[in-house]
Amino acid sequence: MTHSFTRRKFLHQVGAAGGSAAVYQMALALGLMPGKAFGAPQLVAPLNGRKRSVVLLGGGLSSLMSAYELERAGYECTILEASHRIGGRNFTVRSGDFIDEMGNPQYCQFDDQPNLYFNAGAARIPAHHHYLVHYCRTLGVQLETFTNVNYNAWIQNDAVAGGKPIRYRQFVSDARGFIAELSAKGISADAFDSNLSAEDVERVLQFLRNYGDLDPNLLYKGSNRGGYVQPGIKAPTAGMLEHGTLHERLDFSELLKSDFWQYRMHFGESEDQAAAMMQPVGGMDNIVKGFVRNIKSPMVTHAQVKDIRIGEAGVTVVYQHDGQNKELKADYCLNSIPKHLLVGIDNNFPAEYIQALSAIGRGKMFKIGIQMRERFWERDNIYGGISWTNQNVEQLWYPSHGIHSDKGIMLGAYTWNHENAEFFARLPPQQRFKVALQQGEKIHPEYRKYAENFVSIPWHRMNHHMGCTAQWTPETRELYFNYLQQPLAGRHYMMGDQLSYHPGWQEGAFSSAHNALSELQKRVSAELASA
Amino acid sequence: MVGMKRNTVNMIRIRLLAFALMMTSATIAYANGYTIVPEHFIYCTTCHGVELQGNQSVDAPRLNGMEDWYVRNQLLGFKRGWRGTHNDLIGMEMRPQAVILDTDGIEEAAAFVASVPARRPYKAETAVGNATRGKTLYTTCAACHGSNAEGNKLLNAPRLAGQSDWYLHRQLQHFREGIRGSANGDINGAQMRASIAVLPDAEAIADVVAYINSLH
Repeated sequence: MTHSFTRRKFLHQVGAAGGSAAVYQMALALGLMPGKAFGAPQLVAPLNGRKRSVVLLGGGLSSLMSAYELERAGYECTILEASHRIGGRNFTVRSGDFIDEMGNPQYCQFDDQPNLYFNAGAARIPAHHHYLVHYCRTLGVQLETFTNVNYNAWIQNDAVAGGKPIRYRQFVSDARGFIAELSAKGISADAFDSNLSAEDVERVLQFLRNYGDLDPNLLYKGSNRGGYVQPGIKAPTAGMLEHGTLHERLDFSELLKSDFWQYRMHFGESEDQAAAMMQPVGGMDNIVKGFVRNIKSPMVTHAQVKDIRIGEAGVTVVYQHDGQNKELKADYCLNSIPKHLLVGIDNNFPAEYIQALSAIGRGKMFKIGIQMRERFWERDNIYGGISWTNQNVEQLWYPSHGIHSDKGIMLGAYTWNHENAEFFARLPPQQRFKVALQQGEKIHPEYRKYAENFVSIPWHRMNHHMGCTAQWTPETRELYFNYLQQPLAGRHYMMGDQLSYHPGWQEGAFSSAHNALSELQKRVSAELASA
Repeated sequence: MVGMKRNTVNMIRIRLLAFALMMTSATIAYANGYTIVPEHFIYCTTCHGVELQGNQSVDAPRLNGMEDWYVRNQLLGFKRGWRGTHNDLIGMEMRPQAVILDTDGIEEAAAFVASVPARRPYKAETAVGNATRGKTLYTTCAACHGSNAEGNKLLNAPRLAGQSDWYLHRQLQHFREGIRGSANGDINGAQMRASIAVLPDAEAIADVVAYINSLH
C-alpha cells in the first residue's frame, strides 16, 4: 500500500508540473490505469486545500462530467442552466413531462408506465465511446442492448415497387446478389486482362459467390437471406417442415431507383452505428440522473445568462434567476451554451472569438414519439430497429425495450434532412401527428388505429436550444476548431458536443469536457507552481 | 424603469459584494442595469438576445428601442398571418410565439419590449451599401419615417434608426417581393409595399440601409 501511495504522490507532482496529459501518460506507464477502457479519467489533479472556483454555463453532459470531476478534486462549482431541466439534449420523455417548444409548449400525454418513454435526444451508445461507457459503469447506469439495424424492418420508397414496403433483409440480399452476379460476370470476362493470378480470380469468384449467395453458375437466383414467404404451409414458421419458399426477386433496376442504398443500407456499418449498440435501461436520462445524484455543487435551473465578463482575476457572470438578476464570480468559466445563442449574450470576448462562434451553423432535427396501444410491430416480427422511408418522416423506430408489454412508444419520425425538420417544425403539433400517421401508414397500414397520443420535438425550436447538432464545414473546422478549443485568457473554456468532431453524440460532449479540463489543469498547475 | 441613481447604488453594492464574496450569488435588482425579464417572456430573450439586442445567428432582430404600438401591430400581424406565412420562412419561426398570445398577452409583450432601453452606441452589423447614395433615396422615406429615421406614430411608421441592418435589408426585400405587405387587411403593410417602388433593386436597398445605419 505504501508503494501505491508513493506512486500517487508522485503523480500529483507530475500533474503539478505537466498537467493532466502528463498524469494520464504517467499513470498508464505506472500501470495504475489498466488500459483506457477501465481507467478513471484522472483529468483533474486534487487541489489539496487550495481554493479554486468554476462556473459552468449550460447543464448538459459536458458540464455534468466537468462538475463531477472538478468537485472531486476540490473545486467549488456552480452549474447555471437556462432551461427548466438538467441534461441538455440527453432528454427522455415520459408521462407529464414539459416540452418547452417555442410557441408550442406541451405536456407529454403518455401513460404513466415505466417502459413508455422515448429518448428524444441522444438515443444510442456505441461500445467504444470511452467516457460514455465509463460514466455508465461508474455511476451505476445499467445498460441493455439497443437494436439499431433490424433485418426484419421495412424499407419504403414511393418510387420503388409502387411504394410498397420491402423487408430490409430482402432489399439487402437482392442488392448484394445482383451486384455479386454482375461483378462475377465482369471478372470472368476480364480475367485475362486483369493483374490477378488464376488462383486469385478463382478466389474472387468464390468471394462473390459467398458475398451475394450466388448459385454454382455464379447467378443470383434469390437467397434465404432475404427470408422465406411467411407463414409456412405445414407449420407456422416457413422452412420448418418443408423447403421454404423464396420471395420473388426484386427487379434490379427498380431497386436502383431507391435511395436506400445511397447511405442507409450501409448506415449500420458506420463508425459509431455498428452493432452491438447499447442504451440505458429505463431511459437515456439515467446518465443525467447518475451525475445529478453524485454532484453536490449547486445546479441552478431557470438561470439565464446575460453577461460573461473575463477579467484579470476571474470571470463574472450575470444571470437572471427567480425574478432577480444575480452576479456570480468564479476563477474560471466552462461554457457549453449553444454557440448560436451565446453570441446573443453580452460578453467581452475578442471579435475573432465571436466570429468563430457565429460561423458554426445550427443543426435541425425532428423526432415524434407516438404511444401505440398495441405493439403491432412485434406481431410483424419486428423487435427494435429502424424502418426507412423516403417520406418526410425518414425513419420509424421500434423500441428495443419493453418487448411484449402492452403498449409501446414508437418513433414515428426522426429526420436528419434539415428541410424535413423544418417542414415538421412549421406545422402545429396536431398536424405533425397527422402527417406522421399518414406517412407511417405506407409501412404499417393499420398504424393509425393503434396511435393514442404523441410528443413532437423539433430541436431547432426548443427553448434554450434552438438547434441540434452543430454544423461544421471543412472550412470552418480548419479556421476555428483549434482556436475555439483554446482557453480565452486562461479563464474561459468552450465545450459541449458542439466543440467536437462528433456533434450530436454524448461522447462528443464528454470529449470536449476532456479537452476543457485538460486545459484548465494546465492553467491551474502553472498558477500553483508560480504561487 | 431603472433610475440612474438606483443603478449607481447597485453598482456600488456589486463592487462591495464582489470584494466580500467569492463564488457567492449576490442578489441585485437590475445588476449592471439589466432588465428583469418577466418569467413568461424569458423565451423572447432566448432568440432576441440579452436586452433584446438581436441575434443574427438565429435570425432574430433587435427589439430594444422599438415602439410599443409597433410591437403590438406586428404581433397582431403575425397572429393574423399577415406575417410569417407564405414564403416567409424566417417569419414562420416567429409566428407560433405570437399565435399563442391572447390580446392581453400581446399588450403585455408590447409593454415589455418597450420597457427595455435602447442601447447606445449602436453598432452597425452587416450593411455594405453606399450611404451617400442611400441618403438621396431616403428623402422619400423621410416623409413617413422622419428625417432621422426616428419614426412617426401618427403615420404608423416605425423608428428605423438603430434597427438591425440585416433585418431592415431582409424586410425591404420582403416588401419588394410582396412577401410582406400583401396580406388582406394589412393596411400599414400595404402602404409600405406601395412605397417600396422608391427602392428599385437590391443595390438601392443596401444603400438606404447603409444610410439608416448612420442615423443614430
